[in-house]
Amino acid sequence: MTGTKTIGLLGKKLGMTQIFLADGTCVPVTIVQAGPCKVLQVKTAAAAELPEGHRTAANNRGKKGGKQPRPRQADGYYAVRLGFENKPARLCSKAELGDLKHAGLDHGMRFVKEFRLTAAPTQKPGDEVNVSVFDGVKFVDVTGVTKGRGWAGTIKRWSFSRQPTSHGNSLNHRTGGGLGRQHSISSGVPKGKRMAGHYGCEQVTVQRLEVVKTDTARNLVFLKGAVPGFTNGYLVLKKTIKNERLIENKPGLVVKNAAAKSMAKGK
Amino acid sequence: MNILRQLELEHMKATIPDFGIGDTVEVHYQIREGDKERVQVFSGSVISLQGSGTRRSVTVRRLVAGEGVERTFPLHSPRVTEISVRDRGIVRRAKLYYLRDREGKATRLKPNLGKLQAPRSGAGSGLTKPAAE
Repeated sequence: MTGTKTIGLLGKKLGMTQIFLADGTCVPVTIVQAGPCKVLQVKTAAAAELPEGHRTAANNRGKKGGKQPRPRQADGYYAVRLGFENKPARLCSKAELGDLKHAGLDHGMRFVKEFRLTAAPTQKPGDEVNVSVFDGVKFVDVTGVTKGRGWAGTIKRWSFSRQPTSHGNSLNHRTGGGLGRQHSISSGVPKGKRMAGHYGCEQVTVQRLEVVKTDTARNLVFLKGAVPGFTNGYLVLKKTIKNERLIENKPGLVVKNAAAKSMAKGK
Repeated sequence: MNILRQLELEHMKATIPDFGIGDTVEVHYQIREGDKERVQVFSGSVISLQGSGTRRSVTVRRLVAGEGVERTFPLHSPRVTEISVRDRGIVRRAKLYYLRDREGKATRLKPNLGKLQAPRSGAGSGLTKPAAE
């Protein structure tokens, strides 16, 4: 059901507003700066697919058999690693700079992510990827880090109901209520009992957000609905894994990543 | 300029007539009846302007057969085809919600005779197009 994995984009949330379509419908949109992204690395499934000059690694100097050129290992899968937004070299570690040299860069990248692909990528290191990869894409999945809420109670964190403010209730208005079981066979607090705790600041994917409009000149995507995180927060955009035909008229789903993974496994 | 504001400007109408709270306006609004489309005119006094950018909206109140009717129009909606100003009024409030408690003659607003205050509180305000455009 997941279908082919295609390249996505890295981006940044610019904020929300609303726009009118030609027929007068008012659409709430999140405007996302999607790309341009630099291709930092291309991963291949087999060694034979490596570019001609890259099939052998440098000699292992100072090691046993160091004079012989060593065949370079392929990565075993297809992927492209993209970088978004430049980072000045003075903020980079030497390892980072050395790595990015392969893409012909002399500075760093602030946001770097890898996209796994089902087929060999057409891009080469140093290429630029822009919003045109979403040509013809109607729905995208957006991954971001939600706003941190700190230590939150059960009402905010798990949408529990509040208890009555009066009618004899005292001091138990926003408390979570009972925790355990009182049966003789299984007493104690059930595993995974929803309680107060740290909420937010976690990776969340919003699936199937409609692409209302794209702006290729400025690399902008207008998505219907909200995306996780703050304005200026980094996002990963991918063509949706949902079957577009089946989901055409269903509202957007919010799935936490762990849940999404277990769902995917179930299929 | 903030990129979001810039983008909002691009989705806004180029010109919105200059009117403010207390003015009497006619709003031409496209409505759909079955397959047909026609323009309906709603006229009354402006009792509220709110929002900025593409979200700016106007609330117009009028009396229909002794019953108060209010409609809120998004100013930048393509369905609002025209807004014309019939009368200017002098008011001392930004929101004229007090008119809801009044009936008959008490709902009259003081007319602004001859003296046009320019610019008015500005229907298009909140975000204005740069002078160059």
